Amino acid sequence: MKSKILLVGTALLVMSFSLNAQGLMNKLKQKAEQAAEKALDKKVQDKTGVNTGGNQTNSGGNGNSGSGNPSNKGGGGLVTTPPDVNANLADAETSFKSHSYGDARYAVQQAMLGVEMEIGNKVLKSLPETVSGLPYEKERDQVTSTGWGWVGLTIQREYQKDDKQLRTMIANNSAWMSAVNMYLANGGYSQSTGGQQNWKQTKVKGHKAVIEYNESSGYKLSVPLGQTSLIVWEAVNFASEQEVMTAANAFDIDGLIKTLGEK
Amino acid sequence: MKKLFILIFSFATVALQAQDFNKNLASARTAYSAGNLEDARFAMQQMMNDIDLLVGKEILNLLPTKMDALSANTKEDNVTANTGLAGVLIHRTYGTGEKTAQIDIMGNSPLVASINAILSIPFIGNSSDGTQKVIKVQGYKGVMQKSVNTETNKENFTVQVPLNSTLLTLTINDSNEADAQRLAGTIPVTEIAKLVQ
Repeated sequence: MKSKILLVGTALLVMSFSLNAQGLMNKLKQKAEQAAEKALDKKVQDKTGVNTGGNQTNSGGNGNSGSGNPSNKGGGGLVTTPPDVNANLADAETSFKSHSYGDARYAVQQAMLGVEMEIGNKVLKSLPETVSGLPYEKERDQVTSTGWGWVGLTIQREYQKDDKQLRTMIANNSAWMSAVNMYLANGGYSQSTGGQQNWKQTKVKGHKAVIEYNESSGYKLSVPLGQTSLIVWEAVNFASEQEVMTAANAFDIDGLIKTLGEK
Repeated sequence: MKKLFILIFSFATVALQAQDFNKNLASARTAYSAGNLEDARFAMQQMMNDIDLLVGKEILNLLPTKMDALSANTKEDNVTANTGLAGVLIHRTYGTGEKTAQIDIMGNSPLVASINAILSIPFIGNSSDGTQKVIKVQGYKGVMQKSVNTETNKENFTVQVPLNSTLLTLTINDSNEADAQRLAGTIPVTEIAKLVQ
């Protein structure tokens, strides 16, 4: 029993060094990150009186059922005004002059978050409203930035008609970009003859890309944009690879590269 | 005389860092007003680096210059900002012989959530064979781990203390548990926590 507990402890320690830890560590890490996010949002709310649009979706809300607690029937939701960039830069300057480096750092992070939200909204406006006959779903448009850490900025738009769907996700300044670039650069992924071909290298408007196919989830096409950005399309119920490539060609890749400040 | 030169040099470095911050702040404001959002963001990232480097240098000044008989190798002191995944990295080593120690402080460390999880689960935090235990360093909870060199039978210790999103790690080899905990207590964790919050 004792050795089992030690083994579990050792295994958990080893897993903690992997960014792709599964199971318990992932849940605990998620809880820790959610707590950190809530603390950050509370600090923003205390400072500015508004909540930022930088919240990542929190799964598993608090169900207030049982024990005589009332359940929530409605509310005003959250205000998603991005932080005021100029006000935060002024805060940063004041804090820096008074040697409050922690406050200065926080203010710069908030200013960056504000700018990233603006970049995200600019990118969203530049995306097409219809792709291959599929109209975009306005209520599912999403721009997310935490302003810190290694998640970076993500922009999402979905197109759907009946059960045919195209999900578009653009990641900017994301640490997992390095994984995709390695994917493409090291030549480990190549085409093979015979058997089922689930992934291959391809090109979208002259830019190197990787396309994958999975029977249960559909097609996935990834195109690195410059050094730190990536666009991924997930196509569900598309009849063929060519249909997916046609849909991807509806996007202005060079325009996206320019808007994101990439080369 | 040598100490005076070091003091003058560190004041000069801090002054230069402040100039960089102000320069990058001006660039950020100009770029943002002109609608160059990407340039504004880049300038703000540089501002964060400037602050991280300044805080890193202040923390280095707080760290002990000796760990028992081991003197700090100040020429090898290192502060690195903009490492991508993590925030600022601060590094100091002690001793030059077989017995050495080092302090590493990593801002925005991805390990912090995992260490906090270990600290909150007692049956994992404390192992039955004594190779891992939860300790307190100046009131802050931390994890102490022991490893034994099978050839020399010498014990090496790591003490990790999470401070918000920053991780402080003391590594000391050829020591014992009492000394490792005592030396960890010589690090001004409370002051460092104020600087990194």
